[in-house]
Parts: sequence; structure tokens; C-alpha cells
Amino acid sequence: MMQEVDGVLVVAHELKAPLAVLRQLALSLDDLGAKNEHLRDEMVQVSERAIRQVNDLAKVRRLEDGLFEMEPVAVRVVCDDVMQELRYLFRENKRGLRVKYTNKARVVTANRELLYSVIYNFLVNAMHYSAEGTQSELAVQDERECVKVMVRDYGPALPVNIWREMKKGFIKEPTAIAMRPGSSGLGLYIASKFSRYMHAEVGAVRHRDGASFYVKIPISRQLSLL
Amino acid sequence: MIFIIDDDKIMAECVSRAVGDVDKIRFFDNAIEAMNEIASGVMPKLIFLDILLNGPDGFTFLNEMVSYKDTAQIPVVVISSLDFGVDNLEMYGVVGILNKDTMLPKEIKEYAQKYAK
Repeated sequence: MMQEVDGVLVVAHELKAPLAVLRQLALSLDDLGAKNEHLRDEMVQVSERAIRQVNDLAKVRRLEDGLFEMEPVAVRVVCDDVMQELRYLFRENKRGLRVKYTNKARVVTANRELLYSVIYNFLVNAMHYSAEGTQSELAVQDERECVKVMVRDYGPALPVNIWREMKKGFIKEPTAIAMRPGSSGLGLYIASKFSRYMHAEVGAVRHRDGASFYVKIPISRQLSLL
Repeated sequence: MIFIIDDDKIMAECVSRAVGDVDKIRFFDNAIEAMNEIASGVMPKLIFLDILLNGPDGFTFLNEMVSYKDTAQIPVVVISSLDFGVDNLEMYGVVGILNKDTMLPKEIKEYAQKYAK
């Protein structure tokens, strides 16, 4: 029997190949001079972000296969890695990023790759919707049975209908959260899908001057058995 | 001599640029031509191999290579967007795996310097 071909996965692969080539071409550029080196860096960064988004889309399609293993994950380490990757993007766009860790570095049960994408998408969303010169905030704090990762931005307020959608804890499709000008809501849709897979709770808080998006990830009991 | 087997010509050229010494490089856009070349006695010191190729894929190529004593010794670096660990492919002579999404030219060069000086 012929296996059904998943169109999204095929498209993802077809998109990824030229993006990877573009990235390599940018990396191949030598002798640009200090003045133009940042152009190459930007090309690489843009390609990498596009590749990540395509990869995330492909992962969304694969979630139902249950291939993403859940394991003990150190949230702070993941946050540090995401920040490291995105620091350049924030700097280039003249936005700041402040970090506040108030948890005891507890370990959660998650899939590292998916959690990385959730935090990554929250931060890119924050960068996109923050006004120039403002500082977004990444906070990690303990709650009773979970660790909460929250990203606060300073941009347009979140429309009430979108906030309600987030409050339900799940976003059904990207267009449902075309929440602020210029947004398809894809990043938050991906974050929502990945969070649900990990039995984590996503939500949003409305502020007059922006929004906070959070994910609450269940703590790992594995180490407490030792 | 280094073989680059990739059906994406531009990606193959990027790999070639990273290696640096273009005179030492042969390009193949499919596995069959590369296998025929090796069968005719041209033994590369290193092979950069894409997995998803037109016609027989990279795994078929690896399987063929490992089937003969002399070709089984040729180090292969897999360059692919697919995720897999090098542990699974060591038995096929794979000495490294580079992810097309994240690899850097210096990593390609390091393999070339290590195996094909």
C-alpha cells in the first residue's frame, strides 16, 4: 500500500534546502571589510531563523508520531542557549533583553529541542513587538509543581479575543492569533503546539504597554527518587 | 583527491570553497557515477556525501562502499539536513556528520585537513 505523502513535510524539505544553501553562500563571503561584515552576519542570521521556522513547522507535523522524547531538562541552561543565539538579533534591532532567574535551577520534564523552540519563539515575538530602545524581559521562576518561563515585551497591547484564546491554554491555528500588526501568529502557534505536547501550560498576560507570554513546565520527579 | 557527492551544485561548490584546494576535488551529483569512478580505481582520500540524492541515496552508497575491503577504509563525512548520530553510521566508515543547517566552513576544512592532506 502506498504511504500518504505529507505535503507540509515535503514543502518544508524543499524550502529548507535553498535556505541552507543561502546560509552557506553567505558564510563563503570573504574579504568583505569591516564595514560589510555585518551584512554577511545578518544574511546568516536571517537564513538561520528561516531554517528554524521551517524545522519547527516540520516538527509540528511530527508531534503526533510521538518521536520527541521527554527527559529531565535544566530550564536555565536552555534559556541561556536561546539568549546566546538571539542576543545578536536583539542588538541589531536596537532592543535590549534582560534576564531574571529567581528559580532554584529545578529540572523540568520536557523535550529540550521543543522547549528551546518555545522560548525562542516567545523571544523573537517579543523582539518583533517591542519598541526600539526598550528592554524585553525573560524571567524564570519556581511555582509549586512547575517552572514558569515568562517573556515580557513592551509593544502594542494584546487584543482581548487573543488573550482569551491564550487563556484557554491552546491556540488552534496561526491565523487565530494574527494578534498584532504584521503577525501571522505562527511563532506562538508553534510554541503552543510544542507546549501542549510537553504537558506544559501556555498563557498570556495583557499589559497596557505590551504583553507577557509564559509557559509553565512540570518539574521532573526523576531526581527526587535518588 | 576528495569526492563531493551532492545533487545541489551550489551546496557542493560551497563545500568545495570551504575545503580550499579545488584541484583536489571531484564533484558528483549522484551516487552511481561516484561508485563507477571508485570502481575504475580512483580512490579518494575523503568523501563528502549528501544523503538525499537523485537515484540511489547516500545510504545505498555507504552500503556499497562498506561491501569491499579497500573502499570500506575510505573516510566519509555525511552532509545532510537529516538528523542522525555518527554512532549509527560508524560501521559504514562515516567519520563525521555535518548538518547542512548549522555547519560552518571551518568544520568542513578541518575534516579535509585531517583526512586528505
